Amino acid sequence: MAIVKAVKTSALPAPLSETSVVGWMKKNLFNSVFNSLLTFVTLYIIFMVVKAVWVWGIADAVWVADNRRECFSINPDGACWAGIFAWVDNIFYGRYPREELWRINLGIFSLFIWLLPLWLPRVKAKISIGLTAVFLYPFLAGYLFAGGDKGIFMQIMFTAAIVCLAANTIHSIIGVLIGRSLPEFLPFLLGQKNVNEKNRRNIFLGVLALGFILVYVWQMNWNLEGVSWTKWGGLFLTFVVAGIGIASALPGGIILALGRRSEMPIARALSISIIELFRSVPLITVLFMATTMFPLFMPEGFVLNKLTQVIIAVCLFSACYMAETVRGGLQTIPRGQFEGGHTIGLGYWQTMGLIIMPQALKNMIPNIVGNFISLLKDTTLVSIIGLFDVLNMLRAIGKDRTWLGLHIEPLVFGAMMFFLICFAMSKYSRHLEVKLSTGHKH
Amino acid sequence: MTETTMQKTREHLVSAASSEVIIEFEQVNKWYGDFHVLKDINLKVHEGERIVICGPSGSGKSTLIRCINHLEVHQKGNIVVDGITLNKNLKNIDHIRTEVGMVFQGFNLFPHLTILDNLTLGPTWVRKMSRTDAQATARKYLERVKIPEQADKFPDQLSGGQQQRVAIARSLCMNPKIMLFDEPTSALDPEMIKEVLDVMIELADTGMTMIVVTHEMAFAKTVADRIIFMDEGDIVEENEPEEFFNNPQHERTKEFLSQIL
Repeated sequence: MAIVKAVKTSALPAPLSETSVVGWMKKNLFNSVFNSLLTFVTLYIIFMVVKAVWVWGIADAVWVADNRRECFSINPDGACWAGIFAWVDNIFYGRYPREELWRINLGIFSLFIWLLPLWLPRVKAKISIGLTAVFLYPFLAGYLFAGGDKGIFMQIMFTAAIVCLAANTIHSIIGVLIGRSLPEFLPFLLGQKNVNEKNRRNIFLGVLALGFILVYVWQMNWNLEGVSWTKWGGLFLTFVVAGIGIASALPGGIILALGRRSEMPIARALSISIIELFRSVPLITVLFMATTMFPLFMPEGFVLNKLTQVIIAVCLFSACYMAETVRGGLQTIPRGQFEGGHTIGLGYWQTMGLIIMPQALKNMIPNIVGNFISLLKDTTLVSIIGLFDVLNMLRAIGKDRTWLGLHIEPLVFGAMMFFLICFAMSKYSRHLEVKLSTGHKH
Repeated sequence: MTETTMQKTREHLVSAASSEVIIEFEQVNKWYGDFHVLKDINLKVHEGERIVICGPSGSGKSTLIRCINHLEVHQKGNIVVDGITLNKNLKNIDHIRTEVGMVFQGFNLFPHLTILDNLTLGPTWVRKMSRTDAQATARKYLERVKIPEQADKFPDQLSGGQQQRVAIARSLCMNPKIMLFDEPTSALDPEMIKEVLDVMIELADTGMTMIVVTHEMAFAKTVADRIIFMDEGDIVEENEPEEFFNNPQHERTKEFLSQIL
C-alpha cells in the first residue's frame, strides 16, 4: 500500500527542560534524590569556602597600616594587604631605580601602541606591523630598559624602531580614519594624485629615509643612565623573560618542526636531537646548565650576563616544546592540501606558508596559547637561580623587617596576578578560534 | 548520445591524432614497497585528446595520472610531459605542475581561504599576475562553472558539487595545457554528479587535453576519444568508445563491463 503524506508536519515548541532555567535545573541538578543531596552538599561547600575567603580577604582585611605589627593590632584574623601596597613598586619593577621607572612604563606603552593596530579592523598591512614589532621593538625596549652607552649598531636599530613605530602609528590612524594605507596617502599629501605603484613605494621609502636621518640626529644626544640587569626584577623581569620566550617560541618551533618533517637527513637528525634533548630535561636543569655549564664552553674572556644566558635557555626550551605542538598541528592537515597546493604550481615554501601553516596554526591555537601560559608560569623558576623575578620579590616581602613574616598575602596576590594574566590569555585564544573559524557555524 | 556529439567526437579525434604528442609514457614501472602498481606502461596522449581511464579499484589508474604531475614518483621508465622529461629536477617539476591542472576526488580546496582567494592564489604567487587581473580571471572562470555568486564564501559553505566546480575553476585559472581528473564525481551525491559532468563536457568542447579517471560510463561514451581499461597495473585494452563498449576484446574488459553496465 502506498503512503503519500498530504499535509506537512509542523514544528512544535521544544519541551520545557530544553528552554527554561527551572527545567534545566530539574534535569541536571535535581533529577534524583541522591543527585539532589549531592547538589546541596556541593552548594554548602562552595558557600563555606567563599565565606572564609571573603571574611579573611575582604571583610576583616587591613588595608592601611605602616607595618605588620599595626596590622595585627587592628585585626589579627584578616589579611594584611597594607604590606602589598607598600611593596607594589617592588613587585612590579623589582629594584629598578625609582626615578627611572618611566622608562619601563614607556617601553610597555610603546609595545601596546605598536600592537594595537593589529586589533583595528580597517588597518591594512597587519603582517608587516607584526613583523616589525617582532624584529625592531626589542631594540627600542632594550635601550629604554638597559640604557647606558649605545654603539653605532644599537643607535641605528633604535632609530629604525622609532621611525617604524611612528610610521605604524600614523598609518593606523589614517587607516582608521579614511581606510587607506600610508604609502597610498603620502602622494596625496604631497599634492600628487595619479601615482603608480612603483613611485608610490619610492615616495614612501624616501619619507622613511628622511625620518630616519632626522630621528638619528635627534637621538644622538640622548643619554639614558645605564641600569644593570641585576636591578631588573619583579613582574617586569618576568615579562621580559617570558615575552622574549613567547615571541621566539613560534618561529623557532616552526623551523624545528619543519626540520623534523624534512626529507633531508641532516636537518631531520639535527632537529630531532635538539627537540628531544630539551624536551627530556626539566626547565630548571636547562636553566642551571645555561648559567653554570654554558660559560665553560665559551672562549676565554667571552662573558654573557646571567640574564642573557637565562633568556637563551628559555627560548630554546620553549621553541622545542612549540616544535612538537606545531608538528601535531601539521599532522592534522590532510595530504590533499599539499597536493592541492602543488597542482597549482606552488613550491614547498609557498605551500607551507600560504596553505599548510595558516590552517595548522589555526587548529593549534588552544595548544599554542596553552604553551604560552605554561611558559609564563615556568619563568618563575628563574627565581631559583637568583634572578629577582616576581616570585622572589613576593617572597622578599616576608623578609622585610617592617613586614616580617608576611608570607601568605603576597603569594595570594601573586596567584591572583597570574590568574588574571593567564585567564585573559586563554579567553583571548578562545575568541581567536571563533574569529578565525571559516567552517559551518552551528 | 546524439548524432551531433558523435559527429563532433569523430572530427575531433581526427584532428587530435594529427597534432603533437603532449604526454608520453615509456616503459613506466612503479612500486609501492614490494607491490608492483604500474607495469611497463606505454601511452601517448596527443594535444587536445580526451582520454578516459577506467578499471577496478587498485588497478593503478589514479597512480598513473598522478605520475603525470609527479605527485607520485615512478622508479623505472620515462615520462615526458610537454617536452620535459620528469626527473628529480625540481624546477622541471614545478614548471610541469603549472601546465598541468588536476581535480581530485576530495576537491582539496583550501578551507581557510574564500573561493575567490582559492582561485587567485596560483595566478598571483606562481604566475605573478597582479591581484586585480587574477580576480578578473577568477570571476571569469567562476562564471564558466556557473557559480559566480559564491565568490566570497568559504569552501565549507558550498555543496560538494559546487566545491568540485570551484576546484575545476581553480585549475583553469592557471591556464593549463592539460587537465587531469581523478575520480571527480566519486565523492558526490547523485544529484550533484550531473552539474560537475556538464562543466567537464563544456571544457572538453573547448579542446582542452583531458585525462579522466572515472566510473561514469555515460560520460566516457559522450566525451572520450579513447578509453583505456586498466587491471592490476596493466593497460589491458585501449579503444575508441564505440568499439570499447560494443565489442570488448579482452576477457577482463568483458567481465568489467558486464559488472557495471
